[in-house]
Formats: sequence, structure tokens, C-alpha cells
Amino acid sequence: MGLIPDFKKIATRSPWLYRINAGSCNGCDVEMATTALIPRYDVERLGCQYCGSPKHADIVLISGPLTVRVKDAVLRMFDEIPEPKVTVAVGVCPISGGIFRESYAVLAPIDQYIPIDVNVPGCPPRPQAIIAGVAKAIEIWRERL
Amino acid sequence: MSNQIAILLAVLLFPGGVFALALGLALKGVDRRVAARLQSRVGPPLMQPFFDIIKLGFKRTMVPAAANETVFLYTPLVGVVSMLIAAALVPITSVYAPDAAIGNLLVLLYLLMIPGIVLMIAGSASGSPYGAIGFSREMALMIAYEGPLVLIAAAVAIRTGMGMGGWATFSLNDIIAYQQTHGAFLFDPVMWPAVAAFCFFYPANLGIVPFDIPEAETEVLEGPIIEYSGPTLALFKVMSAVKKVVVLGLGIALFFPLAPESLVGGLLVWLIKMAVLMLIGITVVRLSTGRMRIDQAFVFFLKWPLLLAVASLAVVVVV
Repeated sequence: MGLIPDFKKIATRSPWLYRINAGSCNGCDVEMATTALIPRYDVERLGCQYCGSPKHADIVLISGPLTVRVKDAVLRMFDEIPEPKVTVAVGVCPISGGIFRESYAVLAPIDQYIPIDVNVPGCPPRPQAIIAGVAKAIEIWRERL
Repeated sequence: MSNQIAILLAVLLFPGGVFALALGLALKGVDRRVAARLQSRVGPPLMQPFFDIIKLGFKRTMVPAAANETVFLYTPLVGVVSMLIAAALVPITSVYAPDAAIGNLLVLLYLLMIPGIVLMIAGSASGSPYGAIGFSREMALMIAYEGPLVLIAAAVAIRTGMGMGGWATFSLNDIIAYQQTHGAFLFDPVMWPAVAAFCFFYPANLGIVPFDIPEAETEVLEGPIIEYSGPTLALFKVMSAVKKVVVLGLGIALFFPLAPESLVGGLLVWLIKMAVLMLIGITVVRLSTGRMRIDQAFVFFLKWPLLLAVASLAVVVVV
């Protein structure tokens, strides 16, 4: 049965990305869009593809400090993503709340509610850091397949 | 009996089945790579669509609570099977001629409608509002592009049939044989409106950017297939890959089937034609245009391709 591990190795070359904005200020979202869209940091060479539907996703990029208002929607969305999945928290907000950390409207750190596999700190993180985070997530994903 | 086995092999191995799937996915890989290069990106590996399909095999299929489970899970299968049979109907000059027992051009036209209908049923069975929007858009688009296609096919059939001394012939083998002796329809001024109409038709049928309205990722989140995940989503990818081969193969058979007599040469020329047709009609078009609204696309199709197709039919009948 040597074929299955081979196929799993091949499968990890096709990570599809899905973005969840958990109350982010859009700074990280712009960086995420930039990493994918501009030629210089093309992530399609890793086989990545942004998908519109959470059901198609493999790697979830979450930005923002998880505000109280969006919590239910984010958790519901997260459940829609089929296993095996890997979560990447982009920006400092999901880790600590960043500049919003004292706010009454914010539930950060986000890993109280959602299992986070990779943290990419920064406000906003550099595109290279996000790509490194995605590459790390692919490694973790390989073990879960 | 050997006839039946030959048909079965044609559907499952060559030119349907394994061959059509591999070719469709490879074309998709070339398309993505060339698109990336045109945008001065590196782009994915050429084998990327194969990786995607294998990946989807490892994912879990989720059925939404609002969905009709049986219909939801089995419609993509219908689409794949219909496209495999359709692929066995597409001739490759001097390599493969479809058996008259499977069908002719008319059967192919009917089979080509099934993927659209499958998308509509899948979208409505998933119980998602985005699926419902995709359903209605797919339906409108289908009404718009099916008319020109039928007229194009009729024009080619009548041209061939009248050339051969009859009225109309719907056998693709006859159409190819006629063009091999009388020259390709691509260079026949009488057929130019039909060629132009076909050039509008195939991006719409394949869901390429100016006409990818039912699946528009950025507005209806891939519409009908939004709720699909894992192996069932892979079936949709398989369906669209084989469909690409069928539609491009149909275009080649209808308008430019000329190829050398040898087996390898014939196949090679066919593959080159297919790649050229795809790069011009799909890759470049999808990169250089924006998405139309459904009403714009509908009016556009009822105006230009339909007009061209009607004109070509009229010219063919009169001349």
C-alpha cells in the first residue's frame, strides 16, 4: 500500500485558501490579497488558490481579533470547512487583540474558540511572512491527511 | 459483441474516459500556467489540476442540512457519465471515428446540455441561496447559447449534406470525410458566420470569464457548486475537464478536421489544434475581459451569435 502515502504527498501540493475576516481592520486582508494577487509574491506556484466557498477550503486564514458581533458567524463558518483543515491566524490581533486588546467588543485571543495551528504576527505581517505561514500550514496539513 | 466492447473501450479508455480526463486536466494546467505567465507570475505546476483532483479525494463530503441528499450526491455522477459518453462521440481525424451505434451530432448536442442541467439541479438541491442564484443564471445562459449551437450544427450538417447530394447529414464521420475532400469549413466563406458564432459559444458553454456568470466566484461564490466538498466537488472538476475536451473537439470536427493520414500524426495535429483553440479562445479571452452581467450576456447572445448563426444557416441553405 505504498500508493496512499504518495497520493497524500501529491495532495498537499494543492492547498486551497479561504479567508475569514473576524473583525479585522482590513490591513491584514489587504496584505493577504496582495500576497495572492500581485505577480511578485504569486502563491499559485505553491498550488494555492483562493476559493469562494468555505466548503472547498483546506487552509483557513483568519484575521482580526474576533469581535463579539462576528463570533457566531465565524464559528459557524469554521464548522463548514471540511476536515482535514489547518488554521492560520494572520496578524497580531488573533493572538492578543493587538491595538484592540482593551476593548469590550473583542474576544481575542482567538484560540479560546478556534484551534489555531500557525500564528503569523505583525501589524500587518509582511507578505513573505504570510507565505511562510502558509508553507508551514502545508507541512502541518500533510500530517493530518 | 466486439462492437459493444469497442464502444465500451471508447467510453472508458480512449477517446473518452481516462484519455479525455487526462487531456482535459492537462489543458487546464496549461491554461493556468500560460495565464500566470501572461500576468508575469510564475504560475502553478503543469500538473496542478491533477493534484487538485487527488487532494479532493482525501477531503470529506459534507451534505448541508437543507439539501436533498440523494439528488445532491448523485447528480454530479450523471454529469460525468454523460460527458464520458459525449467524449466517445467526438471523432479524431484519421485516429478515431465514433461508431454509428453510439450516436451522431444530434446525440452529442443533447449530451452537451446535460452538464448545464446537472449544475442547475445540483445548485437547487444544495438548498443554498447562492446555488439558487446560480441555477437561475445557468438557466438563462443556457437558453441564450443553446439556440446558436443548434443552428451552427444545422448549418454544418446541411452544408455537408447538400455537398454530398442529399439534404442534411448529422454523422460527424461524414462531415469530416466531406471536409477532407472539399477543404475545411474554416476556409469556406459561406461558413464564416457559423465559425464566428461558435467562437462566441464555446467560452459560454465552458463557463469562461466573460460568461462565467453562473459560477462567478466573486459574487455568488461559485454558485451551484458552493455546497460541494471533497469527492463530489472532484466529480464536478472531472465533468468540466472532460467537457472542455468535448466542446473543443466538436469545434475541431465541425470546422477544421484536416490532419495527416497517420495515427501518430493525426493525434498530434488534433492535440495541437485543441491547445491553440484553448489558448486563443479561453486563456487570452478570460484574462482580457471582465465578467458580464447575466442580462448583458443574455442580450449579447440573442443579438450577435444568434444573428450570425441564423445568417449562416440562411446562406448555407440559399447557396
